[in-house]
Amino acid sequence: MAGMEQGALVEFQDLAVSYGPVPALAGISGAFPPGPTGLLGPNGAGKTTLLKTLLGFLRPDRGRLTAFGLDPAKTPLEVRRRIGYMPEVDCHLPGMTATAFVAFAGELSGLPRDEAISRGHEVLYYVGLGEARYRTVDTYSTGMKQRVKLAQALVHDPDLLLLDEPTNGLDPEGRDEMLGLIRDVSTRRGMSLILCSHLLRDVEQVCETVVVLNQGKVAAAGPIAELTGPRRSVYDVRIKGDAAALLTDLKDQGCEWREGEDGYRVFLSDGLGPELIFRAARDCGVQVRYLRPGAESLEDVFLRALGHESGQ
Amino acid sequence: MPIYDQTYRRYEAREPLRRLRFWPITREGLRLVLVRRWFLALMMAAWVPFVVQVIRVYIGARFPEANRILPVDGRLFGELLSWQASFTMFIAIFGGAGLVANDLRTGAILVYLSRPLTRRDYVSGKLGVLLLLNLSVTLVPGLLLYAVALALAPELFWKWDLAWIGPAVVAQSVAIALTMGLVVLAVSALSRSARVAGLAFFGLLVGLEVARGILHALYRRPETALLSLQADLRSLGVTLFGMSERAVTLPWTYPVAVLAAVCAGCLLILRSRVRAVEIVR
Repeated sequence: MAGMEQGALVEFQDLAVSYGPVPALAGISGAFPPGPTGLLGPNGAGKTTLLKTLLGFLRPDRGRLTAFGLDPAKTPLEVRRRIGYMPEVDCHLPGMTATAFVAFAGELSGLPRDEAISRGHEVLYYVGLGEARYRTVDTYSTGMKQRVKLAQALVHDPDLLLLDEPTNGLDPEGRDEMLGLIRDVSTRRGMSLILCSHLLRDVEQVCETVVVLNQGKVAAAGPIAELTGPRRSVYDVRIKGDAAALLTDLKDQGCEWREGEDGYRVFLSDGLGPELIFRAARDCGVQVRYLRPGAESLEDVFLRALGHESGQ
Repeated sequence: MPIYDQTYRRYEAREPLRRLRFWPITREGLRLVLVRRWFLALMMAAWVPFVVQVIRVYIGARFPEANRILPVDGRLFGELLSWQASFTMFIAIFGGAGLVANDLRTGAILVYLSRPLTRRDYVSGKLGVLLLLNLSVTLVPGLLLYAVALALAPELFWKWDLAWIGPAVVAQSVAIALTMGLVVLAVSALSRSARVAGLAFFGLLVGLEVARGILHALYRRPETALLSLQADLRSLGVTLFGMSERAVTLPWTYPVAVLAAVCAGCLLILRSRVRAVEIVR
């Protein structure tokens, strides 16, 4: 995380936010670098609270948060005009066509009316609603409403896009298209974004960096490649025989494991090698049919950060 | 062609934020309300009392003896605005009850508040819709009637001692438009349904007026007028236009204090309800 602070778009230091007596963020520190960043965490972890603090909706009890070097609590309008927000909840103006809605959103962000209308059409084409843009948003399917939400967040060409569960309610094809759009916005259009999601696959497909929140604290943060890179201490193992005995033995020796699709993923303690697995297998009379060094997936990182590690 | 291959232009020409940031909200609100034909019909119907009063001025100017039955003087404007207040109630119900409630229901409140807008801009924008609609059926016909009266019956109205009519029309119109606008917005902010908000607003106004009527019938005291918003507005009109309606005749400070307190209460409701974050305690 230390390296991430250089040129970070958003930084937070000892940030504490609470809803009345209920703490939501407990003095967290970190940063969101330019580019696509995933914000992960279970329900109630503080993800949406962090986004809402970033938008200036909530005032920190303690610590500070800056976006583009500005404090959203003090200059919320300057921060918000540079941010595009796609909320998790459904949002549209009843009776408005998509064109009118997106152009209106652009105007609210400070675009002149003519420019807002022109960009409204352009962005609706971009998100794939070109043909349906004169229909009222009330008549749209869930997938189309998600696209309109993305369009209204993009219309003023923000420097930072906040996407709160952008693939909610989408079928697999719609999800792939939405992720394709988000990836395109980030990679080809050079827009930074924070993707807040429960779905690790979505984050893995789009983001280069990840921040994992758990119970109001930063549980893990950094480039996904670094967090999930190949590690000698992770092995994918398939065995024949009394698996329970072997796994208990490994656990007794300080190792952890997780059941995979086709065997087990074993996490060895630092300094230990695969010979430990073979020795334990021999002692338990278990046959090792397959052993291969594995790479930690984002799911492993996520589970470890949440304290739901294997073998526990 | 994949959808993401279609063009997307970066926008570099970021301008300073406009001063009247609420204006797009007002304009779109007006547009959405005025596309409904029956609402336009209501707005046009609200001009019928104006036409009636113009005919009265004409008759008063042409046939001075008719003045004995229907006197043509400053009270004419008070009567007009008293009728118009009833129309503003219906305009508020059909044009204003959904202004905040719909945004809360559809989540559009986040679309507004995640933009470079303050909550004050949002409320000003919504209030602007109601002020413009209400003033178009109070202030505009009131001043137009004054202009017509000056043109048709200069011998009756072109006098220094009747010069208060213009400012009185402005004051009464603003009082009606502002009170009705703020109350319906506050009621709208307390609900997520335009229908419920409209019914609640209608029930509130009619209920208080019925309660005032009952109390007045029992006690025969003009102070009962303070209970009802419409009676407060009529009481203010009585003072401004020199009308005689004993049931609501009070020192002007009384209704003004009540109306000011109601408006302040409505602003407090709006302040607590118009939020991007709903905190459930």
